[in-house]
Amino acid sequence: MIAPHPATARSLTTGVALIGLLLAGCGSSSDDAAPAALADSTITVYSGRGEDLIQPVFDRFEAETGAIVEVRYLGSAEAALLIDTEGDASPADVVISQSPGAIGFLDQAGRLAPLDGSILERVDPGFRAASGTWAGITGRVRTLVYNTDLVDPSDLPVSVLDLVDERFAGQVAVAPANGSFQDFVTAMRAELGDDVTAEWLAGMAANDSPNYAKNSAIVDAVTRGEVPMGLVNHYYLPEALEEDPGLPGENHFFPDGDLGSLLIVSAAAVVDTSDHPEAAAALIAYLLSDDAQRLSAEGEKEYPLVAGIAAPAGLAPLQDVAAVVVDLDVLAGGLAGTQDLIAQSGIEQ
Amino acid sequence: MASSSNAEHHAGRPPWGLTLGATAIGLVFAGPLGYVVWQNLDLGSDFADVVFSPDTIGPLRRSLVLATSVACSAAVIGTLLAWLIVRSDLPGRGLWRVLAPLPLVFPSFVGATALISGFATGGLLERVVQPLGMDQLPELAGFRAAWFVLTLFTYPYVYLLVGARLRRLPASLEESARLLGHRPMSVFTTIVLPQARTAISAGTLLVFLYTVSDFGAVELLRYDTLTRSIYASRLVDRPTAMALSLLLGAVAVVVVAAERALVRRDPPLSGRTGGSGMRIRLGRWRWPAFAAVVAFVGFAIVGPVSSLAYWTIRGIDATRSTGSLAVSADGIGRAISNTVLISLATAVATVTVVLPIAYLTTRYRSRVGGAANGLVVGGFALPGLVTALALVFWVLNAPALAGLYQTLPILLLAYVIHFGAMASRPSQVAVATVPMRLEDAARMLGAGRARRFLTIEAPLMAPGLLAAAGLVLLSAMKELPATLLLAPIGFDTLATRIWASMDNVSYAQAGLESMVLLAVSAVLTWLFVIRAADRLD
Repeated sequence: MIAPHPATARSLTTGVALIGLLLAGCGSSSDDAAPAALADSTITVYSGRGEDLIQPVFDRFEAETGAIVEVRYLGSAEAALLIDTEGDASPADVVISQSPGAIGFLDQAGRLAPLDGSILERVDPGFRAASGTWAGITGRVRTLVYNTDLVDPSDLPVSVLDLVDERFAGQVAVAPANGSFQDFVTAMRAELGDDVTAEWLAGMAANDSPNYAKNSAIVDAVTRGEVPMGLVNHYYLPEALEEDPGLPGENHFFPDGDLGSLLIVSAAAVVDTSDHPEAAAALIAYLLSDDAQRLSAEGEKEYPLVAGIAAPAGLAPLQDVAAVVVDLDVLAGGLAGTQDLIAQSGIEQ
Repeated sequence: MASSSNAEHHAGRPPWGLTLGATAIGLVFAGPLGYVVWQNLDLGSDFADVVFSPDTIGPLRRSLVLATSVACSAAVIGTLLAWLIVRSDLPGRGLWRVLAPLPLVFPSFVGATALISGFATGGLLERVVQPLGMDQLPELAGFRAAWFVLTLFTYPYVYLLVGARLRRLPASLEESARLLGHRPMSVFTTIVLPQARTAISAGTLLVFLYTVSDFGAVELLRYDTLTRSIYASRLVDRPTAMALSLLLGAVAVVVVAAERALVRRDPPLSGRTGGSGMRIRLGRWRWPAFAAVVAFVGFAIVGPVSSLAYWTIRGIDATRSTGSLAVSADGIGRAISNTVLISLATAVATVTVVLPIAYLTTRYRSRVGGAANGLVVGGFALPGLVTALALVFWVLNAPALAGLYQTLPILLLAYVIHFGAMASRPSQVAVATVPMRLEDAARMLGAGRARRFLTIEAPLMAPGLLAAAGLVLLSAMKELPATLLLAPIGFDTLATRIWASMDNVSYAQAGLESMVLLAVSAVLTWLFVIRAADRLD
């Protein structure tokens, strides 16, 4: 089904010009503005970000440029493993990952092409790879979801580090096998060191923090009243409320730049073996355009990362939830060490 | 009664064409295990170090304990159900024949999520039992939960194979035993079990292999098995992930070989078979048996379905006023037809492909046949993701196939390789059903090979092969990892849609799609498994 792409000769300058055009032309979506060079290209995307969330943005890109975007939806880790296994023959031009871990794996394997500075600079340096191979497109914030029937807001902790306190014994659900939890632990290692992190994990284990397989299971359990609180990503509760508005749940964002309010990005990159690197880069440039960022904020519940774009309806602005950003290259790298620490802590029992 | 297995072997060497065919097929099926071995060498995995590490011993032990426990309980339940539904005067047999195989089609991540939410505090089940005075349900997690949930979803492997075998048995023996005053239970143990032991054993083997390869259920039920270790390390520590996969493959090869060595084959059937009209009367056991079947099969289906339906109704209810409904039927028709087509094609192709190996191993003493069978069956123990990545690797490295990468023929190949195990042992059981003396007689009367196959062997084997195809069909309906990696872009199946909905926390949509999967499977079971079997009688 992957037809050999027509070998259209396209100079790098066209590509760069075209990216500039897209970035400058945010808002202008008239057909005249559509760069002719994109009209005949097919861009293949492997996306770890779900179809419901990101397909509308691809649809708009297709409509505006005439390019065809073919998307294979799969898990982020699976997308990375697939590209790695495919080697030089990979049909993928663009890869989108829900977490820095999976895209960092491809970066370390040398499978990502560098992005143009004009693309990278659309987001804060904290939201992109120092190696210049990938850029964050949207982000989610770690939070403490709690059951409003069971927890008095005045009893909520000010820092995620307080959760090892005895008064929280058995009260806080965790998902140690989940990628976002592991990203959070990696960030803690980067900020506070392995010893403090190991101590915190051991404290959570000693507190018999109930284990769940993933974020959504924790939100289910908290809103059912099975456990009063849980460490999750911010958007699971709004999604659950959409299907059952009466749920007694609330997100508590740890204040004042606490590590508990870590921001984790979804990221995009061009695969090094792409047959159409310019078109691929143009797609990523589009994902970071004001238009696409606004569209994401409407359809998704993740925070847009480009400055000046409003947060999704019903969510506090990013600066108000005081989300902290940790050096993402550390996040992308040290996952193996994180898993070891988690395994040794006994939190998974 | 148990004739020595030697007596049913041809004395001579197998035809070279058969050996060659089986070798070729075995090599194709060796793909996933071969890839895992290659990756161990390529990534420099320290196999011994990983296998003997304390981090491996625990998960390995849990994998083996869980698989053995599930295999035993599924064997008992599947066999009893098959006998009750096929041979006894259990009320409602027609309905049970459609319902009993269905739990097989729940993808384990869906079934487990549904049961967990049903059992949870504030969940559906609590609302049912609270008025009865129970206020604390056991939490669905850990070993016992994994054992329970996986038994619910795997007993059909045994049920389908044993049922097919029992339909072919003359009922006269059971009738006589019953007339001589044996209780139903004693008829079951003295007459039925010896006649069906190969089918029981083949089904039990599949349950064992499915359980060691399962990830969805053990992850959600928080039982730390080898597959969880493989998934946890798949990206961050690939040498370890591949060493653990190799360990899983080695376990499978040993178990497959042991099963073949330990279990003698069923006595071949006499020419007079069928007789499904004859029913063993259960007498005063009839209604207790009925209650037990209602409780078990009912729970295996109604348990998950009530959660699925609850999610859907709750979602529709909450969003009706907002104008953007929580469920959508867009594209579901295409997903249904994709699912049905690929599953039917897989069922036919898989049974066809494994038949030569079944002949070789059943009719001749052949090392080649034994090895090919080991490869076909053993590969099933590998997690689906590993099998899918192996296919990616081999297809892209085979110049003749690389152009077909991520097209339907390659997806079909991946399905056939992954589900070959389900057709392999059942096909052997089917081939063994044909008495050699019948074939010998036909040969002496001058019937040619093709004619003997069509007029004598095929009709006798048909029920067994049909059961094999049914197993493949129902299993293929829920395939996920290979479909995500290898399907043409845009080729949605019900399983990929359910996965996407769950991933997106759209429980209402996932519930609806899962119920559609169940309904479509019920129709297919009725059309291609039950009606076809009835026509063969």
